[in-house]
Amino acid sequence: MSIQHEQQQDQEDTSASENNLDLPPFVKTWKQFYLLLVGWLIFLIAAFYLFTKYFQ
Amino acid sequence: MSGLDWAVLIFTLIVIVSYGMYKSRGAQNIQGYLLASQSSPWYSVCLSVMATQASAITFLAAPGLAFSSGMSFVQFYFGLPLAMIVLCITFVPIFHRLKVYTAYEYLEQRFDLNTRALTAFLFLIQRGLSTGITIYAPSIILSTILDINTTYTTLCIGGIVVAYTVYGGSKAVSYTQMLQMSIIFLGLFAAGIMVVHLLPADIGFGRAISIAGKMGRTNAIDFKFDWNNQYNVWSGLIGGFFLQLSYFGTDQSQVGRYLTGASVSQSRLGLLMNGLVKIPMQFLILLIGVLVFTFYQYNRPPVFFNSFELNKLERSSYNPQLNRLKAEYEQTFKEKQSGVNKLSKALELGDQTEINQQRIFLQQADEHTKSVRKRVTELMLKNDRDADINDNNYVFLSFVTRYLPKGLIGLLIAIIFLASMGSTASALNSLASTSVIDIYKRLLNKEASDEKYLAASRWSTVLWGLICIGMALYASKIGNLLEAVNILGSYIYGTILGVFLVAFYIRHVNGKAVFYAAIITEVIVCVCGWQKVVAYLWLNLIGCVLVVLIAMLIQLFFKSKAGTTTAMQQRSA
Repeated sequence: MSIQHEQQQDQEDTSASENNLDLPPFVKTWKQFYLLLVGWLIFLIAAFYLFTKYFQ
Repeated sequence: MSGLDWAVLIFTLIVIVSYGMYKSRGAQNIQGYLLASQSSPWYSVCLSVMATQASAITFLAAPGLAFSSGMSFVQFYFGLPLAMIVLCITFVPIFHRLKVYTAYEYLEQRFDLNTRALTAFLFLIQRGLSTGITIYAPSIILSTILDINTTYTTLCIGGIVVAYTVYGGSKAVSYTQMLQMSIIFLGLFAAGIMVVHLLPADIGFGRAISIAGKMGRTNAIDFKFDWNNQYNVWSGLIGGFFLQLSYFGTDQSQVGRYLTGASVSQSRLGLLMNGLVKIPMQFLILLIGVLVFTFYQYNRPPVFFNSFELNKLERSSYNPQLNRLKAEYEQTFKEKQSGVNKLSKALELGDQTEINQQRIFLQQADEHTKSVRKRVTELMLKNDRDADINDNNYVFLSFVTRYLPKGLIGLLIAIIFLASMGSTASALNSLASTSVIDIYKRLLNKEASDEKYLAASRWSTVLWGLICIGMALYASKIGNLLEAVNILGSYIYGTILGVFLVAFYIRHVNGKAVFYAAIITEVIVCVCGWQKVVAYLWLNLIGCVLVVLIAMLIQLFFKSKAGTTTAMQQRSA
């Protein structure tokens, strides 16, 4: 019970500290930065696929 | 190497090592020595994380891999951006908030001392062994240049790295890595330009890639799912994700790097930028290997790139057989060269029939070349069963020393030295952190002064340096260095990651359950690895999933057992 309480407290602390974080550059939230990174990965895979097909 | 190359090499090394030592002066407490006083900006975190991962092995073996089997290795890094996101959401805020020195400290707060000690122990084994390989890689360079055995060069290089790391601490590691990565980018760009410049006048960049592509070297993407294929999109995305998450989230050599960030945001930004840059960087390094491959279609490559081993064979009683193989190799090269010229013309004219015909011919000739080289390695093993027959690590190095202009050779060799020193320094620093914080301070001497812990950190670095040098002396017996490091990591990382994921996400599982789950999983993963049940990248996934499942089962068992005992007690009462 006490461990669960501590963990709940940890989560609350984490959320609170995240609210006070600096914002990332170029975008408005960290979530947008994460989506940007996922988009970049999809773009790279597509680009490498075209590269493979074109030169083979 | 010319006098100019030696001058460039020595000057670059002295400047960067001196810079690191100058910047690290005054590291008088353990926080400064192990965590660089947590004052680094995001770009320093990013470059430091990249430099730690990109060792000399990256620059030696990756172009060699592209030369021999193409660019499929790039897929290995596809899981990295996704792993960076998970790290930024979960690991980084928690580690920063708890103000830990090592990742394993957190596990004692969440579980118990046993789990912390077990994961720290697994880390020390894995990192201790792989750092040996990291030290061995640049020693190959001196071995080839000076034509002496790698044992002497390993001892020499390892000694310099250890001395530098013991003095510098984490702050010096970060500062030198920033400078190192800048020079590395510059040098690789120059090398890429030079390879294209050295190609025949009518062969431009695009044609060079086309020729390599027709010979199966531009295979960057493979969507076909196969458990036993080391590199395809799925193994990279899934297996690679778990490997990278384990490496960056639970390997102290990386955790120690981003914990130097001045805040959660600076650490996060450094990791996310690494996620943006890493795959294109690796692609470009492999592309250099592909260009070197095309270059060697017009310039006869040696039958074996490792000149030390080749010279040894030439001096042996097997020389007549070697000469016959060399003649066969020469003949195949001439036929191949004629085929490449025809292919180039067909590409220029867009003659698809001729392109297909030459492609088939060249692929067959390429196979024949590989078979001749294989027979040469068999002779080498007959002559000396301890011979280093893996040639991938020497391909790029041989090209640099034979064909690049004076000055640039020295710079590129300095880059390989610096890359190795950077990642080795990070590793030794993390081994010292874990030994002192998780073992010495926690178990052996809880109440010592800060000065005593600082001294222990320095001595620990010396000890680990000696162990790693010892391991490096055996590294030549292992196949491709880059793969060897990754395979070794895959045996252990999955288990450690599983422990951390249970810690973060499965609240009801306690320390006892996860401890036994980790031990059982490690045994299963080792058996799967030795029996080669699946390609090694999948071991990360298997290890991680098994820890989570077994820990939940054990927890369930303990709970039901506790429930049964309580019911029995109630009945007897």
